[in-house]
Amino acid sequence: MLSTLELSPQALDAEAPVRIAVKNLDFYYGEHKALKNINLDFRDRHVTALIGPSGCGKSTLLRIFNRIYSLYPEQRATGEILLDGRNVISNDIDVNELRSRVGMVFQKPTPFPMSIYDNVAFGIRLYEKPPKSELDDRVEGALRRSALWDEVKDKLKTSGMGLSGGQQQRLCIARTIAQKPEVILFDEPTSALDPISTGKIEDLLEQLKTDFTIVIVTHNMQQAARISQYTAFMYLGEVIEFDATNTIFMNPHKKQTQDYVTGRFG
Amino acid sequence: MNSAVTPPATTPHQVWGRVRPARRTADRAMKIIATSFTLLAIFVLFWILGMLLVKGIGGLSVATFTQVTPGPGSEGGGLANAIVGSIVLTFLGIAVATPVGVLAGTYLAEYGKGSKLADLIRFINDILLSAPSILIGLFVYVILVEPFRGYSGWAGGVALGIIAIPVIVRTTEDMLRLVPSSLREAGAALGAPPSVVITSVTWRAAKSGMVTGILLALARIAGETAPLIFTALNNNFWFSPTLVGGVSNLPVTIYQFASAPYENWQQLAWAGSLIITVSILCLSLIARRIVRGGK
Repeated sequence: MLSTLELSPQALDAEAPVRIAVKNLDFYYGEHKALKNINLDFRDRHVTALIGPSGCGKSTLLRIFNRIYSLYPEQRATGEILLDGRNVISNDIDVNELRSRVGMVFQKPTPFPMSIYDNVAFGIRLYEKPPKSELDDRVEGALRRSALWDEVKDKLKTSGMGLSGGQQQRLCIARTIAQKPEVILFDEPTSALDPISTGKIEDLLEQLKTDFTIVIVTHNMQQAARISQYTAFMYLGEVIEFDATNTIFMNPHKKQTQDYVTGRFG
Repeated sequence: MNSAVTPPATTPHQVWGRVRPARRTADRAMKIIATSFTLLAIFVLFWILGMLLVKGIGGLSVATFTQVTPGPGSEGGGLANAIVGSIVLTFLGIAVATPVGVLAGTYLAEYGKGSKLADLIRFINDILLSAPSILIGLFVYVILVEPFRGYSGWAGGVALGIIAIPVIVRTTEDMLRLVPSSLREAGAALGAPPSVVITSVTWRAAKSGMVTGILLALARIAGETAPLIFTALNNNFWFSPTLVGGVSNLPVTIYQFASAPYENWQQLAWAGSLIITVSILCLSLIARRIVRGGK
């Protein structure tokens, strides 16, 4: 059925604890209900992909996990998203602390207008005051982990805006992991990049899942198949099917899922 | 329907694609009229600048920058006290206006999104932007000159500051709005509270535009006369370092000297006008440089 997709089955541990549990989640843009009764479990140190046609609510769902939607007063969520037993969408959560634990990488690279070093140190400096030598080590470690160190080690003091698109995106990943979050959200992180940069970021994701729980929104089904262990297919604000990635792509239970992953609609 | 796709019928003698003479004439006429009015506007501008150069350079000498303004009937003299006074008053005005303008612009762009209060402030700011400057002079006269029974440089600085504030509010807001919201989201996504996102991400991204706005406000108030007549007044000698009492300045000096019967006074008025114009020109050039450098 899926001859065009190169599937390299990703090892998954069905016993892995649930890191994020989404229960009865609804989401509204003003009056418009964009997500309807979402129930999903995200496993610790696994990559979960959210796929579906444009406007299906996958980015909307991603933006709830770190409460970034709270920047916009007309947006609201009801239900539960449990992270370490706490409901992140309740009003008494410190959203800034939450965001330091749940990092996010955006579709378009967003380097800050400051040096490469300061970009990576930005998140660390917000919550910690490490001595200079330790800060240097953390910045270097994050840049090595993002496979960017060799390209920027001689120009750490130059602006992050001067890097290429792919390098900027790896800088943003370095900035996120330097903060040592538990979960990293990726919102179509490669859709603005060329195939070579995309390949590098995908390799990176493979490395990162040993330490982080990853949720990735992607339009690219091959990408979801290549890098994720679990996949949720969403359509019109609902989760149609959620299962191991191999099952979703090789043997989906719902006809809509099958039609989408084989390219018959969407 | 077949008729929908058949081309419009043309008879053989009609030549396809030829411009009608009337249309060509109208087009030419429009071009000539637009060009000539542009030339007229530029001609007036260059006339002013040319006259300023011819008459102003004649009045410029070392003494212009070293000697104080001459008394009635005395020979020579310069503009040293007026130049220094103008610099002091202008920077005082900018020092008053920058924090107020930048923070109010930041409120409008970052905190007051969609709020009624922000709409009201923006509306009032636009009114203030086009308020007659003599009105601002009178206002400051009532609140800072009359109660303290005397003119002062401080009142002059405040009056210039009030004129500069709406310019800075406007440019700050506009420049901050140009910063993509993805950058703010990226800052917030790292757990930075709004205050940190604004001061270390958004302001930084908009820095060159905001500095340009402040420079343009500086250029705007450097030549203001009306608000100073009621506040700093003028001084034909060196003013007090405490800025209490009249503070000499170029615009009011030009106003007084240009209408005086003494020839050396009129000469100095031309020289002063040239100095202000060249300073404003330099400020504008620097501002444009910064805008280009920022891109």
